[in-house]
Amino acid sequence: MNEFTNNPIEIDQLPRFEEVALKGLEPKYIKVLLFNFALFFIAVLGGFSALFYFNQELFSNTIWIIILGGILLFLVSMVVFTLLSFRKKGYAFREHDAIYKSGLIAETTTIIPFNRVQHVAVHQGFISRKLGLAAVELFTAGGNSSDIEIPGIAKEDAEKIKQLVMGKIQQQL
Amino acid sequence: METSFNQPQRQSKVGILVMFLYTLQKLVRAFFPLILVFLFKTENLNWLYVIPSILVFISLLGLFAYLSYLNFTFFIDQESNEFVINEGVFNKTKTTIHLDKIQQVNINQSFIQKIIGVYALEIDTAGSTTKEVSIKAISHPLALALKTRLLENETVTTHEFQTDVVPEFAPENTEKPFIKISFWTLLKIGFTSNYLRSIGLLFLFYTTVRENLQSISDDENNAVDTQIGDFLEAQTILYGMFFVGFVLIGIVLVVNVVRTLIKFFGFTVSKQKGSLLLSFGLFNTKNTIVKPEKVQITTITRNYFQKKLDILEIKIQQASANEVQNKNNSIEIPGCSEVEKDTILNLIFSEIPQKGVMLKPNWRKLVFSLFLSIGIPFLIYTFIAIYIEPLAFDYVFLAVAYVIFVALMVFVGYRNNRLFVNDDFIIIQSGAWDVDNRIIEIGKIQALTTSQLFWHKKPDIGSLTIHTAGGALQFDLGNFSKVKAYINLWLYEVESKNNKWM
Repeated sequence: MNEFTNNPIEIDQLPRFEEVALKGLEPKYIKVLLFNFALFFIAVLGGFSALFYFNQELFSNTIWIIILGGILLFLVSMVVFTLLSFRKKGYAFREHDAIYKSGLIAETTTIIPFNRVQHVAVHQGFISRKLGLAAVELFTAGGNSSDIEIPGIAKEDAEKIKQLVMGKIQQQL
Repeated sequence: METSFNQPQRQSKVGILVMFLYTLQKLVRAFFPLILVFLFKTENLNWLYVIPSILVFISLLGLFAYLSYLNFTFFIDQESNEFVINEGVFNKTKTTIHLDKIQQVNINQSFIQKIIGVYALEIDTAGSTTKEVSIKAISHPLALALKTRLLENETVTTHEFQTDVVPEFAPENTEKPFIKISFWTLLKIGFTSNYLRSIGLLFLFYTTVRENLQSISDDENNAVDTQIGDFLEAQTILYGMFFVGFVLIGIVLVVNVVRTLIKFFGFTVSKQKGSLLLSFGLFNTKNTIVKPEKVQITTITRNYFQKKLDILEIKIQQASANEVQNKNNSIEIPGCSEVEKDTILNLIFSEIPQKGVMLKPNWRKLVFSLFLSIGIPFLIYTFIAIYIEPLAFDYVFLAVAYVIFVALMVFVGYRNNRLFVNDDFIIIQSGAWDVDNRIIEIGKIQALTTSQLFWHKKPDIGSLTIHTAGGALQFDLGNFSKVKAYINLWLYEVESKNNKWM
């Protein structure tokens, strides 16, 4: 197969996005995840106990125990899954683009060139604010599927990133 | 045509009639099932009550139309360079649009407007989510003058615009269209395309009608239902199915042809200052301008029949401010020949995109699609047949037919699924029956996404999603090293050139 004839740029010499060292999220962000998870945990268990309390005749005791075991197993595996996937998340800002990678089973990498960024937003959730964390969001004209949101960045870093990207956008105008 | 728009002015007087008819149309459309049921269900209608109430209703509507006519004014504010529209009877709305923000001004004519002899002027703004503005009744010269004034700020417009926009009513002004889609071509298109969409529409129509009838008149409908039931029982079910199948195919074809004819009758494409001007419609004449720089994805669709008849369909997706608008921003050109297609592509891209290096999906994609479309349904079927309803085994021949048909479709679809890359374009080919070729310019890329399942690392395959302002395109399970190399190249192209993508 004759690739890129008539093309002065050697494809091998181009910078490779897949070899960029990605920066992980702040370890503190795990707390945010765990807190959100705890809320979910309480809701599920609350629902289960309510059902058990009001409708005990619905199943026999063994089945109740099996259901409880199933729910616990599900929740625990979700925690493990969340923690593992936390380590898989990473981002990098190159001179001309932003890279965000995530996903445990399917590794997804999104790259947005700065000259396609429409605007940048920094936002904080309730727990994140207490911990001094923020999320950076980059929006393009490609709609929801192509926007990236990088959570778990230290607030001051997030602001710096925002300034950086805004600066890049300004340059292009 | 030195009409000044600096003073607030109203629409044409006949605008009252237009507003009246529009509101009436809207109301009738909304309450159509109710009215129908009312007329048929109520026995001994007392016309002494009905007629006066209709009269009162109509005069109220007329009054409303008159008031909304009075309250609708528009003018151009010279100082702030804004176009201002005031409207509303009870809730007053003032809309101001900065002239720089105006992307497009369309002059259209719906069926009602055609009868009355006025035009609608619609203003398209980009970059904001604000509602588009439209003036519903305006005379043609005035519309043209206003359009010229509104677009004066833009660099490449004005005088030529006036002459080109005129629909078929003023042939002396129209530039000669280079593509005219004949009645015959539309017939061909109607017969050979959009089967699925027609079936969907039919289904939707059937369910809504049924629901409406059922909710109000239960007994009558039951009678019909049992009749159909008896009929089906009397015949063998197989025979019934063939019958239904034939009727369905017949209806789909007729619906398709009629829909295509109404929507696209008199389709013409002409050039205008480097843009494409499309004009079409039997009852509602629509004029749309396609600016090449706004085009994001161009889809060329053709199936086996259409290939034999040398016709194909082109769909153009333009950049849009928000995703809701996306649908409105896709424009179809039904039925052009190979040569006409090349002319259009030439206008959009200033060259004809060639298919370059080809990438194929991995065989795992075929296996996975087969599993999804045959494996799972087959498992469910066997499960039902064994554990729940042994009768299902009587229809084994149907299951076999399904398997053969779907396997064939999936296989052909897999064979057709290709990614072509050359220096300036990416072309993704897909589809089993209707084969789509979707073309993107590399400069129009907004973002790139790769995705790889962890067990696909070893065989080195993965998926690619290309995001544009007109939607995203996906290519699954290609050679991941090659895909990544292309991504690096495309990123280089996009980042080093700073192309205009809109």
